[in-house]
Amino acid sequence: MSGTTPVVFVIDDSPSVREALDSLIRSVHLGVRTFGSTDEFLQSKRPDAPGCIVLDVRLPGLSGLDFQREMVKSEIDLPVIFITGHGDVPMSVRALKAGAIEFLPKPFRDQDLLDAIHVGLERDRARRQRSAVVAALRGQFDKLTSRERQIMLKVTSGRPNKQIAAELKLSEVTVKVHRRHVMRKMKAKSLADLVRMADKLSGGAETA
Amino acid sequence: MKLQHLRAITAPWLLPAATAALAAAIFIADTVTDLELAVPAFYTAVVLLSVRFCKKREVILVGLGSLGLTLLSDFLTSDTATTQAGVINTAISLLAITTTTYLAVRIETEKEAAYEARSQLAHVGRVTTLGELTASIAHEVNQPLAATVINGNACLRWLADDPPNLDEARQAVARLVKDANRASEIIAQVRALTRGSPPQKDWLAINDIILATVSLIESEILQNQVSLRTELADDVPLVQGDRVQLQQVILNLILNALEAMSRVGEGPRVLTISSARNDANGALVTVRDTGVGVAPENLDRIFNAFYTSKADGMGMGLAISRSIIETHGGRIWATPNSPRGAVFQFSLPVGMEP
Repeated sequence: MSGTTPVVFVIDDSPSVREALDSLIRSVHLGVRTFGSTDEFLQSKRPDAPGCIVLDVRLPGLSGLDFQREMVKSEIDLPVIFITGHGDVPMSVRALKAGAIEFLPKPFRDQDLLDAIHVGLERDRARRQRSAVVAALRGQFDKLTSRERQIMLKVTSGRPNKQIAAELKLSEVTVKVHRRHVMRKMKAKSLADLVRMADKLSGGAETA
Repeated sequence: MKLQHLRAITAPWLLPAATAALAAAIFIADTVTDLELAVPAFYTAVVLLSVRFCKKREVILVGLGSLGLTLLSDFLTSDTATTQAGVINTAISLLAITTTTYLAVRIETEKEAAYEARSQLAHVGRVTTLGELTASIAHEVNQPLAATVINGNACLRWLADDPPNLDEARQAVARLVKDANRASEIIAQVRALTRGSPPQKDWLAINDIILATVSLIESEILQNQVSLRTELADDVPLVQGDRVQLQQVILNLILNALEAMSRVGEGPRVLTISSARNDANGALVTVRDTGVGVAPENLDRIFNAFYTSKADGMGMGLAISRSIIETHGGRIWATPNSPRGAVFQFSLPVGMEP
């Protein structure tokens, strides 16, 4: 447990299933919030903690499968575990293809659900860590001067100092000074370290 | 069926009597008048009237009768000299009666076909509705049952906690009891629903029902490359019951048999449907297949609701079949077929002599 308690969001239109899941999930010392519809969930304020969604396929209004698609549009990046009273194979294939962790027909073994929840929370925790690292790097990168950023990009794409100096019409000594500043401000231990950071920064927008 | 009832109510004896009177009047007029008058042409009216209250075969009889009467009155009046015009007139009358009868029979055939198609459609509609209803009931019952299972598991986990959380465990059990009661309430409601529509009670020939059902899914049988044998005894007593419900039972047994045989890769696929008079003078229907069969330990359970051996089965077909047969006072059971497959049989109590 890294600080914040993870939260499981249960979305099911049956109050009795909601209450039962609430109790089951609390019994393994996880946080839980329950919702009767996807709208209710969307309107709620979600805590800043690792989480995952336990979603009923058959819901009034937006169905669970439709909601899974909607989530991508509304930039909700929580792992989803489907539970269903009447699942068929094509439905489960569709859900799993769209990235669902599990597709459990009701009634399911409690351990199967809890295992899926743990996989979901672990996945979300890793995603949150990745995006935290990228956010920190971006903060450091934003503190560089525009000249330093220019030099960092050239250094990390493998250009030697002499070439950079020629390209930017600077002396080689000046390039070396800027380069040292970049290493210090980015807290990079080596050139390889800096290259990895540049990678994360450029790829960050796609993977986050 | 309904169509004939309607006719019986609107014209119990009046129309047949009037038609007979008309025929008699034509016969007398034809006999006392000269041959030159084409009175027998009026027999066409008799034929057309008979369509209103007669079946196809009876209409043909009326037509033949009219022809006979025409010839008879010809014979009775033949002591006067037969003129050429008289012979031609008689021929025209005979032709008119024959043509009219033929057309009347054609119309009747079309009407019967239309009625048959309509009743089959109604039947299919009812089966589909039943399927939808079943799916919906299954979902309704499944929700509280799923909650019951989750609550039971949650309770075990609260008790296994260190220290055990008795308060949470107690609440979980309280919810469990509530949900189990809810499930049983839903089932009670379904029971009340089925009680609300008492089955029709008609005298039925079980062989007709078997043949009608088979004709509904003949293409399905062909598609599955199954050879169908029907062994229908002609001394099966009539049974009292609801035609559509009994058709549903037979349809369900046939569909199950086809499904069971589709799961067998090799060997002959033979579906045998037979009827017989049973020891208690009731009707016995047997549906025998060469499919995967039923494990002996499951023979008792297959009629339970929600028990299914199919990946996408609802487990309701045989349960509904049993409840239908039982409301008819009968019994339904299954035995293994040899060398492979299953035999499903139901008996209906003693009825009326055929």
